[in-house]
Amino acid sequence: MKFSSWTVNPTRRGELAIGPLMILPAALGLCIFQFWPLGVAILNSFRAFNPFNHRPNGWVGFGNYQAVLADPSFQSSFWVSLIYMALMMVVIIPSALGLAILLDKRMPGTALARGAILGALASSEAVAALIWNAIYQPNSGLLDVIFQTFGLPSQPFLTDGHLAVVCIVIMTAWKDIGLPMLIFLGALQAIPPHLFEAASMDGANRWNKFWRITLPLLRPSLVLGLFMTTIAAARLFTPIQILTAGGPNGQTSNIAYFSYAQAFLFNSPGPAAASVVMMLLMLVVITVIQARALRSRSGI
Amino acid sequence: MTAEVLAIADKIVAKPTPVTQIRRGTVFGAIGLLLVAFFFAFPIVWSALSSLKSTEDIVKFRYPLTWWTFLPPFPTLENYHALFFQLNFQRALLNTVIASAGQVIIAVVTSTLAGYAFARLRFPLRNVLFGLLLVTAFIPLEVILVPLYEVVKGMGLVSTYPALFLPFACSPFGIYLMRQAFQSIPVELDDAARVDGASTLKIFWRIALPNVKPALATLVLIQFIWSWNAYLWPLVIIQDPSMQIAQVAIAGYKSVPNFPLDGPLFAGVTVVTIPLVAIAIILQRYYVRGLMSSGIR
Repeated sequence: MKFSSWTVNPTRRGELAIGPLMILPAALGLCIFQFWPLGVAILNSFRAFNPFNHRPNGWVGFGNYQAVLADPSFQSSFWVSLIYMALMMVVIIPSALGLAILLDKRMPGTALARGAILGALASSEAVAALIWNAIYQPNSGLLDVIFQTFGLPSQPFLTDGHLAVVCIVIMTAWKDIGLPMLIFLGALQAIPPHLFEAASMDGANRWNKFWRITLPLLRPSLVLGLFMTTIAAARLFTPIQILTAGGPNGQTSNIAYFSYAQAFLFNSPGPAAASVVMMLLMLVVITVIQARALRSRSGI
Repeated sequence: MTAEVLAIADKIVAKPTPVTQIRRGTVFGAIGLLLVAFFFAFPIVWSALSSLKSTEDIVKFRYPLTWWTFLPPFPTLENYHALFFQLNFQRALLNTVIASAGQVIIAVVTSTLAGYAFARLRFPLRNVLFGLLLVTAFIPLEVILVPLYEVVKGMGLVSTYPALFLPFACSPFGIYLMRQAFQSIPVELDDAARVDGASTLKIFWRIALPNVKPALATLVLIQFIWSWNAYLWPLVIIQDPSMQIAQVAIAGYKSVPNFPLDGPLFAGVTVVTIPLVAIAIILQRYYVRGLMSSGIR
């Protein structure tokens, strides 16, 4: 931006006033409803609260952080958060890539599959969780009925902690896979066809072309899809609240659910604030790593 | 960058070229695509079909596995009757519609104004401000939930419509999308109008806005889907049951003690989901554009 440029042209002088005025409504809204609460959330994590009216009541330094870090249920929710991230990466990214390759080919049925995936993506997390809740119900749910029909033992889909985490991941993958898939599909369609033709003339087979051309050119999109999935996994809340309410024994509770429970179920705003700030730090770390990974794409 | 993204988005939803020769790979691919379509459509179709069964039939025909586990043996609209005549679901639906409409309208107004200023007008700190506002796209609701609740409570808005739509009506995604759209209009159009003596606001209204209709359609669609699907915020800020939105109301049918509401739950899920999914699929050109721009920042 050149400073001299606004003074030179007298016909555009009005922009100096009109520009900020046009931004004002959006800026005001974002300040009141985003920046201000973010600041308060960080401040609250260093505050003590009156145990009866839950009003701020002086400062405790890192007291809330110490309390939360010593709390076994927070420790468990931290590890569960990491498990959600790892599982969602492992489940969503390869299947999204597979789906993108399948949809890239333009065969009969492409429009149908694309419509179904977009439909799942547009449906709400709450609705998706409610439908899958009916599918996962113990003893009477659809999946259990199918298991029984094939003579398989009945499974405690939502009542066993480890299995419930997997069930939540599968439900979330069903709903959210469309977004990384679209990103991969876009990258696949941007690859110039002449690259494959040239490789074919050099005698490359399909597998070679995939490893040597498709994957390297897809790298930035893969990194983007990977981190969008990780951030979505770190923020996972609605499916946990509807399918298991964090149970059994907090085994499906991540940091997002832990902080919600602290704030709105157990009325402890201090620990809630400390835990969300730690979640924010986790997200910042992920985003910084993402930015680095994306920047290094020039190296390929 | 953005023109590229739009071209790719349009390519994704373009009609496939007709198949000229059927090869073995095509047949396997088509079978794979059908399986994919089945997996992703099944939960929604199944709950729509289940909504036509009475709650007793849902339980009765579940096991053993027959066609009636999936299809309604005695199709009935009694769940919809219960939804609208006993559970007052129309009120929850109305609340969702009002919240979504409010959010979409405010988002369109604030995003087009700010997007145009960021794209076309020159003023100090323009790019710094733009970057700052975009940062809010990365602030997760879960992190600011409690202070946001206090802000809205301080305004005296708990359990009101503005509480549902105001906090998320200013959209960094919308500002970004509209800025890109305005930037793609040739500057010569503005300059020609300016030479004719048009004011900045007149250029915005008469020249810029009519040229960004596709981006506006994308913004409306994406914002509508986001607000329609809100769950955590309404759950927290609405304490008067008559003001609650449809999604939270339906989730409440899951856990009524000793009173199974499986049928009405499926009916409610169908009412809120089928129209939305239909809109997203019919307008997928705009939906995919919006998703691609939100992903590739």
